[in-house]
Amino acid sequence: MKPVSLVAVTLTILASMIGGTSAQQAAAPAGNADHGKTLYRDTGCYQCHGLAGQGAIMTGPRVSRTELPFDGFLGQLRRPSNQMPPYEAAVVSDRDAADIYAYLRQMPAPPDPNSIPLLKVAR
Amino acid sequence: MAKSDETGLHRRRFLKGVVAAGGATIAAPQGVTAQTSEPPKGATPMPSAATRSKERDQPPEVERLTTEKTGSDFMVDVCKTLNLDYIASCPGSTFRGLQESFINYGANKRPEWLTCLHEEVSVGMAHGYAKVAGKPMAAIMHGTVGTQHAAMAIYNAYCDRVPMMLFTGNAGATNERRPGVEWFHSVQDGAATVRDFVKWDDYPMSLQHFAESAVRGYALACAEPPGPVFLVADAKLQEDPLEEREARKLRIPRLVTPSQTAGDPNALREAAKMLAAAENPVIIADRYARSQAAMDDLVKLAELLQAPVIDNRSRMNMPNTHYLCQSERAGTLVAQADCILSLEPVDLFGQLNTLRDQIERTDISRIKAGVKVISISTHDLLVHANYQDFQRYAGADLKITGDAQTTVPFLIEAVQREVAASGKSANEMRGEKLRQAYHGALERARTEATFAWDAKPISTARLYMELWGQLQKEDWALVSDSDFSSRWPHRLWPLDKHYRFIGGSGGYGVGYQPVAALGAALAHRDAGGRVVVNVTGDGEFNMAPHTLWTAAHHGIPYLTIIQNNRAYHQEIMHVQRMANRHNRGVRNAAIGTTIDNPNIDYAKIALGYGALGIGPIEEPGDLADAFRKGIAAVKAGQPVLIDVVTQPR
Repeated sequence: MKPVSLVAVTLTILASMIGGTSAQQAAAPAGNADHGKTLYRDTGCYQCHGLAGQGAIMTGPRVSRTELPFDGFLGQLRRPSNQMPPYEAAVVSDRDAADIYAYLRQMPAPPDPNSIPLLKVAR
Repeated sequence: MAKSDETGLHRRRFLKGVVAAGGATIAAPQGVTAQTSEPPKGATPMPSAATRSKERDQPPEVERLTTEKTGSDFMVDVCKTLNLDYIASCPGSTFRGLQESFINYGANKRPEWLTCLHEEVSVGMAHGYAKVAGKPMAAIMHGTVGTQHAAMAIYNAYCDRVPMMLFTGNAGATNERRPGVEWFHSVQDGAATVRDFVKWDDYPMSLQHFAESAVRGYALACAEPPGPVFLVADAKLQEDPLEEREARKLRIPRLVTPSQTAGDPNALREAAKMLAAAENPVIIADRYARSQAAMDDLVKLAELLQAPVIDNRSRMNMPNTHYLCQSERAGTLVAQADCILSLEPVDLFGQLNTLRDQIERTDISRIKAGVKVISISTHDLLVHANYQDFQRYAGADLKITGDAQTTVPFLIEAVQREVAASGKSANEMRGEKLRQAYHGALERARTEATFAWDAKPISTARLYMELWGQLQKEDWALVSDSDFSSRWPHRLWPLDKHYRFIGGSGGYGVGYQPVAALGAALAHRDAGGRVVVNVTGDGEFNMAPHTLWTAAHHGIPYLTIIQNNRAYHQEIMHVQRMANRHNRGVRNAAIGTTIDNPNIDYAKIALGYGALGIGPIEEPGDLADAFRKGIAAVKAGQPVLIDVVTQPR
């Protein structure tokens, strides 16, 4: 896989995954975050998005504390608009998807970059 | 035997003074005589008394066992004119003559012989070296099997357009090969294995031929686009005695490194008009800069146009400390551009389009209708048929064939004239927006780095920023690609000088990273004490861990950090993709892709090869101390490995 060709795709995914919420979003189903954590590992989400959902520039965007509505999240899972492999119901059921979604939504907030001396990058 | 015996001559036999000869030697003249041309029947004269007396006075013919000067000595003389500082090798009998001549006759200086433990290291080392030193290094491979070992590294160098001088040996005529192994290591056409991915090759038939081909080869290797040149040094040419009379006839041509091609001035005028007229010009730099001056030129051009630069990182092209370096906004910039200038693109089609890796492979244009595309490149001057490194064909409105680094100063002049003629000055409003976008991208990177900051396994952001915390006090160089670690150094470290970074492998042949880092570290050592850092995946490192022995043996200090995700992680994702596509779930994706159970102890491996080994580091809080110790050891002259257990990317 050529790294260069993924740049724009990654940005597209990024925009779609952490972009603003839709005014028409449906209420997310109640999910089991603990089960979602297990599924996040078992279904290999972390390989592209990182164990903390932090994302990686070449593989997949940040999903930690996703702001996507559940409908959008499920739609991306089932019929990705980009390079992401599709996860159909045979592999991740709607129930499982809701659990993963719940897990991602409750991930801890990151620290303020200004509180980390090593991230005080001045230019 | 036929030919030499028929002529009564043999390259290792001659009449040699008064020597008490053994039985075998005494027998030799009889055999030679027996196979000389027969006189006509019935005309054989009986030897006269005078003839018999003369034969008795001649010394007996004896086998010559030593010689003072050989063809390989002359080959060394040739190589010494080629500005080669090093020649790397894993030993092989097909070049034994050359090796002995280099280390004794040539005094093991310029070039100095370097010992590697695999031919892929010899060549990969030359790859990394050339990108730092700005000139070729040499490597020599054993005939057939050594060349086969080296092939992937040669391919990487070819794809990356890096010059190097490659030599191999080959046993000579069938009657001169030792039975067995020399036959296995002999070949009709020594370059056939690699001809598809070297710039030029030759199999010299004489020493004069060798001299001319070596000098020609060096010049060709350096002419843009550069590439590996491969020469076969025939064993007979290497090992045959070189008589004074023959040596006096040999001439080594003077090496003249070529000036490089610049683009057509008329085309440059047209390009300048297109760029000056654009509302949203974008510059993309790929395999562009070979020097600090080229980087400075690119800054000058970007400022003149107030155009953002996307540095694709095949070389260190644009300082990321400059607000016009906007590589992290590549997708947006390409989509908004109305004029794109691409400098030495590796994959222009891939830059302007995307192809979805789904069952139905569809490509989608990233650019808007009517965008003007200009490319300046030597790409079309080195295209071979078989290997497809040339990428999908991309049309451009203006394709200028020429070395971009040589051409950009002329383009700057053309743009300056165009701007002066039009009365337009640089678009200050555009520049201000770009400043804001630059700082926005930096802030996003800082924020992204905070996610997983304290995670275990350690995040790649934490790894790079803890490393930066120790490295920023030094004069440093990063000799590894960062594409597989979210490009943190390009996003958060200040890459402000040409020697800070050297790009990637070129051909994605796994194993480039440890071996190229070794060669790059050698060149940095000679340049004067920079702290060299190589962050490499565990899969990459396992292709050539013994590079550390060569580093220890030859006193080449640098810091290797294993970004240890215990997997061929790219391949895990590919297998997951297939499993998902087939609706089978990903639970078996680890089969054949992970490197665990048992986990490899890289620190112990390093110690075994004579380097300092630290790790595995699994706590983020332990990184700073490990890096501090590692850098101190590198500054003291040691190669060091630090094993850091990380997140996948």
